[in-house]
Amino acid sequence: MKIEIRDLNQTYPNGNQALKNVNLDIDNGMFGLLGPNGAGKSTLMKILVTLMKPTSGIVLVNGMDIQKHRKELRGMLGYLPQDFRFFAALKTWEFLDYTGSLAGLKNRKERMKEVDRLLDQVGLLEARDRQANRLSGGMKRRLGIAQALIGNPKIIIVDEPTTGLDPDERIKFRNVLSQLSQQDVIIILSTHIVGDISSTCQSMALLNRGDLVYNGSPENLVKHAEGHVFKLNLTPAEYEIAKEKFNVISTIPVDSGWEVQIVSDEAPEYSFTSIIPNIEHAYVYFMEHKLQTSLID
Amino acid sequence: MLSFINIKTVARYEAKTLRRSWFYRLFSIGAILIFTIINIGMFSPIGSENWEAVAISSLLPQFNLYLLNIAQSVVVIFLASDFLKRDKKVDTNEVLYTRSMSNFEYIIGKTWGILRLFLTLNLIILAIGLIINIISRSMTVDFKSYVYFLLIITIPTLIFSLGLSFTLMSLIKNQAVTFLILLGYAAANIFYIYFRAGLVFDYMAFGLPVFRSGMIGFENLSFIVNQRLIYLFAGLFLVMSTILLFKRLPQSRFHRILTISGFFVFLAGTIICTINTYSFYRKDLADKSRVLKVNRDFEDKKFPSITDASIEYLQKGESLEAKVELKILNDNSEPLSQYFFSLNPDLRDTRITSDGKDLKFKRTYHIIEIEPVKSLNTGESDKLEFEYTGKINEAFCYPNYKDDITENPYRVSLINIKKRQAFLTKNYVLLTPECHWYPTAGLNFYPSNPAQLKIDFTNYLLKVKTENNLVAVSQGRMQRENGYFIYKPDFPLTGLTIAIGNYQSDNLKVANTEFITYHFPGDDYYKKDLAALKDTLPILVSGLLKDLESNFSTKYPFGTLSLLEVPVQFYSFPKESTQTRAEIQPSMVLLPERLATINQAGFYKQFSQQKKRMKRGGQVITDKDLQVRIFNNFMRSTFISGENFRFNNGVAVNEPTRYLLGPSFYFFKNNFYSSEYPVINSVFEVHLQKVNNPGMSGMQAMSGNLSDNDVANLILRNQSFKEILANRPGGDTLSTILTIKGDGLFNFIRSKAGIDEFKDWFVKYIDDHKFKRVDIKEFNNDIREKYGFEFYPYLYDWYNVKEQPGFLFNNLLATQIVVGNRSRYQVTFTAVNPESTGGLFNVAFRTGAMGGRGGARGGGGGGGFSFGGSGGGFGGGGGGIGGAGGGAGMAGRFSSQGRGMEALDVSRIVYLGPNQTKRIGIVLDAVPRSMMINTLFSKNVPGQITLPIDNIIKPKDPEKEFSGEEILTGYSPVADTSEIIVDNEDMGFTIGRQNTANRLKRLLGIQNKNANIYQQISMMKIPSIWQPIVQSVYFGKYIRSALYTKGGTGDKTVIWKSYIREPGYYDIFCYIGKSVDRMMVTGGGGFGGPGGPGGQGGVGGGGRQGGTRQGGGTRQGGDAGITGGMLGEAEGNQMRGSREQGAPYKEFHFHVSYDGGSEDIAFDYVSAEGGWNKLGTYYLKSDTAKVSLTNLSGGRIVIADAIKWVKQK
Repeated sequence: MKIEIRDLNQTYPNGNQALKNVNLDIDNGMFGLLGPNGAGKSTLMKILVTLMKPTSGIVLVNGMDIQKHRKELRGMLGYLPQDFRFFAALKTWEFLDYTGSLAGLKNRKERMKEVDRLLDQVGLLEARDRQANRLSGGMKRRLGIAQALIGNPKIIIVDEPTTGLDPDERIKFRNVLSQLSQQDVIIILSTHIVGDISSTCQSMALLNRGDLVYNGSPENLVKHAEGHVFKLNLTPAEYEIAKEKFNVISTIPVDSGWEVQIVSDEAPEYSFTSIIPNIEHAYVYFMEHKLQTSLID
Repeated sequence: MLSFINIKTVARYEAKTLRRSWFYRLFSIGAILIFTIINIGMFSPIGSENWEAVAISSLLPQFNLYLLNIAQSVVVIFLASDFLKRDKKVDTNEVLYTRSMSNFEYIIGKTWGILRLFLTLNLIILAIGLIINIISRSMTVDFKSYVYFLLIITIPTLIFSLGLSFTLMSLIKNQAVTFLILLGYAAANIFYIYFRAGLVFDYMAFGLPVFRSGMIGFENLSFIVNQRLIYLFAGLFLVMSTILLFKRLPQSRFHRILTISGFFVFLAGTIICTINTYSFYRKDLADKSRVLKVNRDFEDKKFPSITDASIEYLQKGESLEAKVELKILNDNSEPLSQYFFSLNPDLRDTRITSDGKDLKFKRTYHIIEIEPVKSLNTGESDKLEFEYTGKINEAFCYPNYKDDITENPYRVSLINIKKRQAFLTKNYVLLTPECHWYPTAGLNFYPSNPAQLKIDFTNYLLKVKTENNLVAVSQGRMQRENGYFIYKPDFPLTGLTIAIGNYQSDNLKVANTEFITYHFPGDDYYKKDLAALKDTLPILVSGLLKDLESNFSTKYPFGTLSLLEVPVQFYSFPKESTQTRAEIQPSMVLLPERLATINQAGFYKQFSQQKKRMKRGGQVITDKDLQVRIFNNFMRSTFISGENFRFNNGVAVNEPTRYLLGPSFYFFKNNFYSSEYPVINSVFEVHLQKVNNPGMSGMQAMSGNLSDNDVANLILRNQSFKEILANRPGGDTLSTILTIKGDGLFNFIRSKAGIDEFKDWFVKYIDDHKFKRVDIKEFNNDIREKYGFEFYPYLYDWYNVKEQPGFLFNNLLATQIVVGNRSRYQVTFTAVNPESTGGLFNVAFRTGAMGGRGGARGGGGGGGFSFGGSGGGFGGGGGGIGGAGGGAGMAGRFSSQGRGMEALDVSRIVYLGPNQTKRIGIVLDAVPRSMMINTLFSKNVPGQITLPIDNIIKPKDPEKEFSGEEILTGYSPVADTSEIIVDNEDMGFTIGRQNTANRLKRLLGIQNKNANIYQQISMMKIPSIWQPIVQSVYFGKYIRSALYTKGGTGDKTVIWKSYIREPGYYDIFCYIGKSVDRMMVTGGGGFGGPGGPGGQGGVGGGGRQGGTRQGGGTRQGGDAGITGGMLGEAEGNQMRGSREQGAPYKEFHFHVSYDGGSEDIAFDYVSAEGGWNKLGTYYLKSDTAKVSLTNLSGGRIVIADAIKWVKQK
């Protein structure tokens, strides 16, 4: 599977340009999509799932224009929107049955088997006959994941899939996606939880204000931040000054005051320890220092 | 390709989602419960099994679906728009939208899902109905109707409602606004637009007549199909629009093309069907208009009379082919150089010959103008032969009616029925003379004079060849010859009717009359229900016939009476030219299939109910006796004296049933005509047949209608009879005018000839002239010869003059005298006519033999009274076996006073010349209780005045008998000059602003149109304006009127003002029109008790129950009872006054102005006497005196009548 995005632009009627000449190639495996609010992630995803028509540009899936072959694309798509809700009157299995049937599982017996398998996979088998309005937020999220996976989709697009999941569930979910990504499947994961990307994605893209600002592997992104992440031990008074001056990534209270991690182009004047950056550091560094985009208010 | 699996999936889950919504659950559970109750209540053996509802089996599914459809048309709006609201929240459905299905599949799936859900509910309701249908004894199961009505009523409405909701939601994107629009449209359909433009707008089939006859099925299928297809196609078109408007990127070019194609195809279908439906309506209107135009062009032409007609009728599928030989007579006073005939405009290809030679003729729509070989001189005859073929144009039959279903509704259990005047199909034919299916020498309607009618008495011979072994039916006895059905009626007829169908017949010979019933197989249910009557039937029928004959003082003129079952859809409109409807034909009655519109025809149900009731009351009656009673009740109320009560546009209408046999005793037998006064036959008919103007029923009285007599007099105040006729009044107005003019004319003749003398002579006269046309001048000559006076000169004033006499009555005295050795009662009174034109009034009495005084609710047995006009003497009441009914014996109608062949009820007819005063004396055998005066054509409103006779003087010295009239000279009835009276009719009386209670109406400036129309006081609907009312208890010179309004806060005022010449102390009185009318008071209580079964009593007797339902008395008696009962009860309430909360009357608040101030007076209405009541004594200056009355009262009603100032001496 291969997705090619060429010169993709999307301008809304109010003049807001959500995507600007985005060019991107996505191959099999997990693909992470990062970016701050308003970066154009959701717009890109809506275009990819054929909910929206781009102003210009083209998206090819295996060489086929998705605007001309929506039927085919939709037939291979699994999608979990960020704000996933479903009809309160339907039970969990019914909803999966509904989407499964639309996803091409015509045989009722097989479909029911698949429904139960997925419910088991996302830990909802016990809530099989529960109606939506009786599910917790996490359970709803898991149901959303299940419906995105039903029918063996070739392209799975998930928007903030792990929001609301507890760590255990999140790991489970990552594992499910990882397993799937081993097959001839493209999984596009848009998330704010940078950790999800680092642990699962082979490649990723960073969007900012409609521009594609980074496209590569998570490791390469991390490399940009090497030598720019420091750990400091600060008194409360020093901390007040430091947080005005640096991008503070984390703050941990200690006996003498605060243990703080910062991202900075230059070494701070306080005593510090250089630490090996992770993708979160890299994301902040990239956005704040490479792109001069303020992520932290 | 289309994925049905996708459609099915979406539908399944859409239905599931909706099914689990509370709104749908509540609606469906509620609907199931309500419809179960309705079905049990209306159609099951434990319910009412109202005959109208159960007679025709198709009504059950139709009724259920009709009601459900109205409700679900509204509910579906909520559900459909809710569905789109969910779709608007994109995130909810994004996971579905990204699936591989087309927009077409998705929307169609959604639509089908909702549709499926409602169809399931419809099927459940139908299943409930079906169960009831199966267990019902009265109904057969008509499975086809269950399917048909689902297709006709439910599906188009649902699809249209869904499509419209979807589209509007897609366009407007605001659920609240969409609701408002959709609900507004649904409400508009029900209340405003459903009947307009030929039912084009009626999407929910609210007024659409889709009744399915058991005899012929749907009789207007092409119209129904077109009308319903409008909404089926429109619905689908709107669904296609929704797909195109749907905010999801399409995925299938094929489906998009399919949608766009569907959009245009269904749009085209909608347009075509709308045009078709509308064109039915337009064509009908255009045809009627053309008939009127042509009639206008030919209405002055002279037509010959047809004396003999031989008709050969060949049934040809949905057409007819006929050969007609006519023998015509020129009975005009001038030769005929052209012959004019009228033939239904759709009967064409005409060939006309005389002695085998083709005649030249010209066809102008329905008029045939023939050039005869030579002119036909007066008194000469000629023979013509017509050949023609074609169909029947029904619009021709009643060109003056537009068949607006709101003006002339024809419903069976809420279901609108298409009014049909003719049927011409391959399986059924019904053609009455109204459709001119054979050449007729006269017009069916005279536009310039709608009261005109050309009648021929013709000897008919009918030969009919049918197809498919169907049976032909017509008047007379059936004969079969060479494959033809032959009918040759024994007597000349005014018209011939033909019916062809799968008829079976039964015969019953009673004396010289043969009764023949023609019915469809299985529709003779009455044989089983009234099986015990088998041997008794001839006696019963004979008794009823004798009743009829004695009622009309003449024999039934024909040798046969055919009772022909016709589809329920057959309906005749009232005519201005006659009171006779087309359901009654000479020697034939066209009865609705299974007698469906006649409630008394539910024999079995009546039998079982009455049997149970009697058993509970410990009464014993044999099955046969009970069946006799039920049969008699049915026959009387259907053929002799029945009335139909209905509300038409909020007005209570009480019209005679359409099957009264009255026309057989005049209209089909006699004809009086006049070239100068063409209306004369209608006037005779109205007066002699007594079918018109049955008077006010209880419900009419309760709803505040004025009597027809008073309505007519009020109309005639400003116009002469001639002027009114020239203005082409509507049917109701015309019939009331004809009635009063007929009464006036016959009372004039009777006053000159003597009541009894004229009766005997006239009965013989019309028998001697039966089946002949009599010129009114000839009749005048015969009167002159017999009685020495002429009435013809009187006709000029009767027809042309608009001045009315006015009558004042006083000095009523009743004295016991001795005549011979018998004690008798002499009544004297003075009558004054101060007007410049003379006039008549008649006098009747209610004498002893009063019924038991009704209690507060119910009471004694009905006594009856003996003056009931028509044929009088039914009296005696059905107090009945139980004796529990009755109570209303005194309260009979008296609008028939002096009407009818005999006018036996009238004691005296008095003529008063201009400015003439007479003292009148009448001697009676029985104790007079009250004197009833009918002022006929006069300024008096109400024209029926009841004067109580409370005191019988027993003089010590014997008084001389005075029976007759004495002209008094110098007599003045003017009141004391020291009195100043201001009545509500006078200039000094003013009404404050007539506010309507409704703010919206006020805002829109909508005035109450009844504010200037006299009514009767209504206890049911008390107006919020000062409403003029008339009743003989109120004060007034001629118009005994007052005003009444709803008790309120004092925001409405009336004022009496008068100029006081002489200052001084004045006693001020108010007039209280409280009933001193004994009839009203003592006759009350007609609601009483459960009502005994009633005896075989007559018209007058019986209470509501005793007279109408159980007693042998007819509905008239019952209604009379109701009238009296209700009025009596109103009075009773009045008496109870403030003892009850919400009493109609309590205190009235007068405000009296006097010198130096004013005073509020709380006047206790309850304890006041009827007549003048003193408000107080005040000093008044020489100035304008004023008394006002407001609507402030604790009671429900305030009445304003008259104020009197009397100077103290």
